[in-house]
Amino acid sequence: MKIGLVCSHGGHLTEVLEIIDAFEGHDVFFISYDGLRTRELEYRKYLFKDLGKTYPRSILMLTVSAPMILGILLKEKPDVVVSTGPEIAIPVFYVAKILGIKTIFVESWCRVKELSLTGKLVYSISDFFFVQWEQLLTKCGKRARYGGGVI
Amino acid sequence: MILVTVGNYYKGFPRLVEKMDEIAGKISEDVTMQIGNTDFEPRNADYFRFTSEAKINELYLDARIVVCHDGAGSMLTALKYNKPTIVIPRLKEYGEHAYDNPADLAKELEREKRVILVFDVNRLEEVIRRIETIQITPVKDRRLVKSLRECINAIDSER
Repeated sequence: MKIGLVCSHGGHLTEVLEIIDAFEGHDVFFISYDGLRTRELEYRKYLFKDLGKTYPRSILMLTVSAPMILGILLKEKPDVVVSTGPEIAIPVFYVAKILGIKTIFVESWCRVKELSLTGKLVYSISDFFFVQWEQLLTKCGKRARYGGGVI
Repeated sequence: MILVTVGNYYKGFPRLVEKMDEIAGKISEDVTMQIGNTDFEPRNADYFRFTSEAKINELYLDARIVVCHDGAGSMLTALKYNKPTIVIPRLKEYGEHAYDNPADLAKELEREKRVILVFDVNRLEEVIRRIETIQITPVKDRRLVKSLRECINAIDSER
């Protein structure tokens, strides 16, 4: 299968690299932010300028990025996209949903008590939704599952 | 060597970098700092802003102690290499974080005795000096990889 991994260039990337063994044997590419560590990833990669930072700038950046993300997903045609967040997952998951691509969201390890805003926004459109702390299940609907932590 | 990391966050963390520079001037052990977007430049320690995956992993591996901000990536890497880890949460009141930071992960990891949590940087030197006496329990759980692999296999078989 072809799998798109979606994350930022800092801690979310560290989490993805820690779970990347799960995608062994599949064709993997990255959608992420430009940074020293993402530039040297030995995978196909599409790097955006950091879309996050603060509202309302990020809302604007995410909206502007949607057509580019559509272009990437039409070109790559992944079977699945997987993300540990952050906000870049929002346009990717919505575009993926429209294109019929399966989506797996893994809430970040740092979310112990509350879902992230990204997690809340992609929860209903994710085919699989994992949390990394069992106590967080009480804050989600039935679709969420606890599958262990990244470490 | 003591490794200090503040991550890729767009805000700096001068409270930690300045204090660690001061401590570096007082102790014999080398201090290496990843200062990210912090304006202050250390005088008593080696420092750099960002580096490659290979280089940062090598530094974590070589470090005797890791002192880091409460970013998931820094804490995850320190724990992966089984390092005694001192965590200083970024606080909004000092302009280190854009939002009120509940530091839930750092608090949970401290509760599990996997890291040492320090809110007041004035306590850092004392904690570093007695780190050998603090009980830390490195725990590794690779279950998430297995869960995701099962999930990928399920999608693959449905195709």
